[in-house]
Amino acid sequence: MKSLWRDGDRQRETEVRSLGEGRFLVRVDEAEFTLSVEVSPDGRMRLRGEAGDAVAEVTASGSRRFVRLGTLEFVLDRESSTRKRVGGAHGGNLEAPMPGVVTRLMVAPGDEVTKGQPLVAIEAMKMEHLIRAPRDGRVARVDAAIGVLVQGGVALVALVELKD
Amino acid sequence: MTAVSRSFRKVLIANRGEVACRIATTLHEMGIGSVAVHSDADAGALHTRVCDESVRIGPAEARRSYLDIEAILEAARVAGAEAVHPGFGFLAENAAFADAVEAAGLTFIGPTAQQIRDMGDKRAARRIAEKAGVPIVPGAEGDDAAALVKAAKKIGYPVMVKAALGGGGKGMRACADEASLREAIESAQRLARSAFGDASVYLEKLVTHARHIEVQVLGDGLGKAIHLFERECSLQRRHQKVVEEAPSPSVTPAQRKAMCEAAVRLTEAVSYRGAGTIEMLLAQNGDFYFLEMNTRLQVEHPVTELVTGIDVVRAQIEVAMRGALPCAQSEVRCEGHAIEARVYAEDAAHGFLPQAGVASRVRWPSGAFVRVDRGIESGDEVSVHYDPMLAKVIAFGRTRGAALARLTSAIDETRIHGVITNLPFLRALTRDPRVVEAAFDTEWIEREFMAGFEAMAQAPAPDLAVAAAALAELLTPAAGISRTPNGSSTPVSDPFASLGRWRLPGTGS
Repeated sequence: MKSLWRDGDRQRETEVRSLGEGRFLVRVDEAEFTLSVEVSPDGRMRLRGEAGDAVAEVTASGSRRFVRLGTLEFVLDRESSTRKRVGGAHGGNLEAPMPGVVTRLMVAPGDEVTKGQPLVAIEAMKMEHLIRAPRDGRVARVDAAIGVLVQGGVALVALVELKD
Repeated sequence: MTAVSRSFRKVLIANRGEVACRIATTLHEMGIGSVAVHSDADAGALHTRVCDESVRIGPAEARRSYLDIEAILEAARVAGAEAVHPGFGFLAENAAFADAVEAAGLTFIGPTAQQIRDMGDKRAARRIAEKAGVPIVPGAEGDDAAALVKAAKKIGYPVMVKAALGGGGKGMRACADEASLREAIESAQRLARSAFGDASVYLEKLVTHARHIEVQVLGDGLGKAIHLFERECSLQRRHQKVVEEAPSPSVTPAQRKAMCEAAVRLTEAVSYRGAGTIEMLLAQNGDFYFLEMNTRLQVEHPVTELVTGIDVVRAQIEVAMRGALPCAQSEVRCEGHAIEARVYAEDAAHGFLPQAGVASRVRWPSGAFVRVDRGIESGDEVSVHYDPMLAKVIAFGRTRGAALARLTSAIDETRIHGVITNLPFLRALTRDPRVVEAAFDTEWIEREFMAGFEAMAQAPAPDLAVAAAALAELLTPAAGISRTPNGSSTPVSDPFASLGRWRLPGTGS
């Protein structure tokens, strides 16, 4: 089975093939290794092989996977193979970095903005976070509205490049 | 003068989360009934489950629930509570609330409204401290930005800016020059206006490379006070404490004596009632300055409890009931060492952004010398509406080294899945050689620790971790992923001590 994962800024690819008797051939990106796996009734997996020997616990939350390996914790997001990542710092959409309430809108469509300029303020858990322009540009669209509770990843402002 | 003597049958806890749970524990111990309050977002939350009863006080939004004085007083009336414990945060340092509680014929478990007002007003607090012989940091206050900028010039940069009302580190900013000062004043005024309805801003000289030392005090409200020694809270990020300990590893016996005595002088000077904390800055040259007095139970009070054996919440209640301090100063001893780590729903690797969601699988550490003040268990929701602090993990040892080793191991043992927490940050922090050697100051985390931590946290996950995620999709049932029944945490056990429970996938056992 092939899967795609988001690991911070990176994309990781895995492929798992059963070799029978609890043994698996696992490929992570370019690395390929064999693991024997035992699963306990509470869902913990004991992994053994040349890549290491550890107890792993994996918990799903939507497409997110919380992975505990020994005493270390990692967070991976399962990605569908067809989905292309849009928005973020690379696309034209500026997204809410976390859930919160929009408290201030500092730009309107058509405004020219410079890199670092604050555009929108979000308040969550008593703290105000400023969403700043990642580069110079022009505001194409404002999706945020004051007082509205937004989830993380929701588009707030769309920027387009300035044409000179 | 004598204090009124009464005993409470029922106390309402005007708070939520771990502090509400913590207060309920002492109420149970004292045989006093506990009444929780909850917003719609907190229906069924842990604090409502550990209290004897719980009253709904409004919708999720704090302004219309935990900050709604009328709703809380109505809840107290409905439940028949005789006293209100405010915890910390929310209305704990709101003098109008203390007044309203007393006006309703109930007892406010805390200082008098006037004491809250005086200490909440930085100018008044500094005047009182100065009069009591406690050194103060040069500063200025007002709502006129131009005058503040002028004052900062005279004091010398860097300066620290915050809303004049309200305690804690939130909204506090350091400014190195006039431009950043102007921006900070504007931002502090906006927050102050919306949070306190008063745009006054306070600024003071930023003492660099300082250590944050605070003294826990208890006053009987009649002019007598004792101290429970000091805590060191120098491990901060953005002026928010993350790891605290008692005693301080950095003060000399002479400094300890001077600071604790100054704290008692200040407490007695105002005939302070209940538990309070005198926060001080210890400069590199050994000078110390009064920072502020927090007129409430402090988040980090457990480390003091572990080294003195005195239950600070019980002491608050005893003072409120009888004006009685737990013991004489000569009987207060500081033995051993305790260290606390605050567990937050924050993504430490990405600017500490607050996180929300369902903490589907939670396992807290255990052990003879480990205490966990928690606000959630498996299956509980972490809401966007409230402070992201989930719990505090506290370890005790005969020495600082023993306490820190236990804390490190307790953090390792803690597992919170379903919502991102700062546990990886705490794990790295408590292992850092500078923390082991206690060689830090209040800016050290940002100045030296963060860059290395971020690099580590943003590094690719090990292949084995990615492999585990992929294998879980294949091997664990239904949704592909392991489940634990909600509302219960997995008992802690050595995974290798119970090999009998393991099976090979596909062997049909």
